[in-house]
Parts: sequence; C-alpha cells; structure tokens
Amino acid sequence: MRKFIFTIILILSYSFSFSQIKPNERLVYAASYNMSGLMTQLAEVTMETEMMKTSKNTFLHLSIQAATFSKWDSFFKIRDLYESYVNPITLQASLYKRSIKEGGYSKTEKYIFKSDRKTIISTSKTNSKPETKKTFTVGTSTQDIVSVIYKLRTIDFQNYKNGQTKSFVIVFDETEFPVLVKFMGIETVSTGNLGTKNCYKISISAKTNALKGKDKNLIWLTADTKKIPALIKFSIPVGTGQLTLSNATGI
Amino acid sequence: MRKLFLFLAIIFTCLSIVFASLPLGTLALIPIGIALVFGFLTLKKSDLKQQKVVKVILLFAILSLVFVVGKEIFTKDEVEVDKQFDTKKTESKKEAKKDLEDLDGL
Repeated sequence: MRKFIFTIILILSYSFSFSQIKPNERLVYAASYNMSGLMTQLAEVTMETEMMKTSKNTFLHLSIQAATFSKWDSFFKIRDLYESYVNPITLQASLYKRSIKEGGYSKTEKYIFKSDRKTIISTSKTNSKPETKKTFTVGTSTQDIVSVIYKLRTIDFQNYKNGQTKSFVIVFDETEFPVLVKFMGIETVSTGNLGTKNCYKISISAKTNALKGKDKNLIWLTADTKKIPALIKFSIPVGTGQLTLSNATGI
Repeated sequence: MRKLFLFLAIIFTCLSIVFASLPLGTLALIPIGIALVFGFLTLKKSDLKQQKVVKVILLFAILSLVFVVGKEIFTKDEVEVDKQFDTKKTESKKEAKKDLEDLDGL
C-alpha cells in the first residue's frame, strides 16, 4: 500500500506545469484500484495550497493528503499527509514533512533544506523504529516529491513534440533518484466539475521499483495555463489503479 | 456432473454472501457471477424434485447481486470526519511554523 500511495504522489508530482501556483487551491481525487479486473474506489486524495507567514518570510504550504473511504477504514485505514513549505516564487522547498499511517504501519519524516540547497537534515521515525536524525547531501536541483509537483508547472508542454522528454531528480526516503517525463500528445478527458477538456498526455518513468511497465504510468493535464491533473493511471508491482479528478476549487 | 456443479454453486454462493457483506465493492460480482453460472447449470441438470435446493441457492446468489448493485448505486463513497487526523494536521502546521521560524533565524 505504501508503494500505491508513493506512486500516486510520484505521478502527481509531474502533474503541474506552466502556471502560477495560487494559494487556496483545492483538488479532490477519487483513487481506485484494480481488483481482479474491476476498478474499486478506495480513497480520496486531496491537494491543497495555502500561504503561511513567519516573522521574516512568507511560504506557500503545499499539501497532499490521502484518506480511505469510511467503508474501508475498518479493514485498512489510510491517513497520509505529505507537506512542503516552499518559496512562493521560486517554489524551492525549505521544509518537507511526511506523516503516513497505513493499516498498522506508521512513519513520520521531516527534511529541513539548508540554505546551500545541498544539505538536508532529515528526521525519521516509524512505529517499529525509534527516531533517527541524519544529514545528507543532494544535488542542488533535487527536490522533495511535493514541491516538485508544483515546480513542474513551469514546463511548457504546448511546445513539446510527441516523445519529447524532460528529466528531474527527486529525494524520497532519503534517496535520490531520477525521473523521466515524456510528452505523448493531447487527448480529451473528463475533468470532474470542470467538464470535458483537452489534456496533455504525459508518461512518467522512474528508476525505482515502485513503478512498473513502459508508458503505463500516465497523467493527463488540462491543456491550459492551469495544467490541472485530470486523470492519473498507474501501474505498480502489485496492480494498477487510477485517480480521477472529482472536484477542483480555487483554481 | 450435477453434484460437482451443485457443490461449486454452493461454495460460490457462500463466497458471494461473504463478499457482499464486506466492503469489497464490485469485487463481489465475481463470486456472484460464478455462483449464478453453476447454479443455472445445476438447475438444467436437475429433475423437478431436485430443483428446489438449486432455486434456493440461486435466490441467495441473486439477492447478493441485488445487494451489491444497490450498495454501489446508493452508497456514496465518503471519507469519515477524522478528528485525530485533523488535529494531527493542525499540530503539523504549528510545528512547521516553528521550524521555519528557526530557519529564518539561521
């Protein structure tokens, strides 16, 4: 299930581009999983943005939360929260937080990005292991998985040709790995309360065991300046699933 | 052959009832479909006296089908209001603000 959530977040992380990120944006998705050939709705995934002011700075708080529908809670309850506090203009993260609770497993993780952009102070804790602190170095362009979602709004897919790619580096579970985004054309997709829209079809691949198959992890972004992820299909070692946009507000 | 079909129909009808009572959504349609197939096959191979039991099995499979389809149509998928999770989110924001204030001071 952790791979399932990670995959969703990873795919979402390639979902925005070429658009200003506004605070108070709320996107709600229904997450379905393929059970013996039948798509079964499992959870709700919500992505939100809001401003946060400190005494000296203003940050944009980006959050992604996943919660199972109540009928599943007694069997396998998921309450995941991924957060990133970024510079509202550059979208560079200063703080990344992850708190997951999936069935009997729980984990909290925090990355503090030092000003040199190369050093991360990480604090991690699971229900079976005590809190550990670690300092590690990453590339200057490496980002956490949440902030990269919004950072990617700077990609102008309008000028992309079919098959054109762009690569990124993400840090997750204290490990850096490259991710490749491939433009695959434009298709019409239903986008919840926004109606039916032309969308950019994007394929995501990463050097990680979490994703499976070639061009089987796909995301459709509205082909406008907002680049809202309308539909996400994923393929992981334990099966396939999708996220469909059900409601978008504050965009 | 009739006995085998009857056995399978009973097994899959039992599974249908179990699946239908669990929150497995449309996944329950699989055992229901199989139960119906074996139920009708058994019915075809049964004489009038033997048909009563098979009809009862089919009735349970059909009731499971109606229950599952009804649940899918009328039950709205909702996330329960989780005060613990809401508190966690609020606390996380407070902690983050403190961490960011500390970063400002560096």
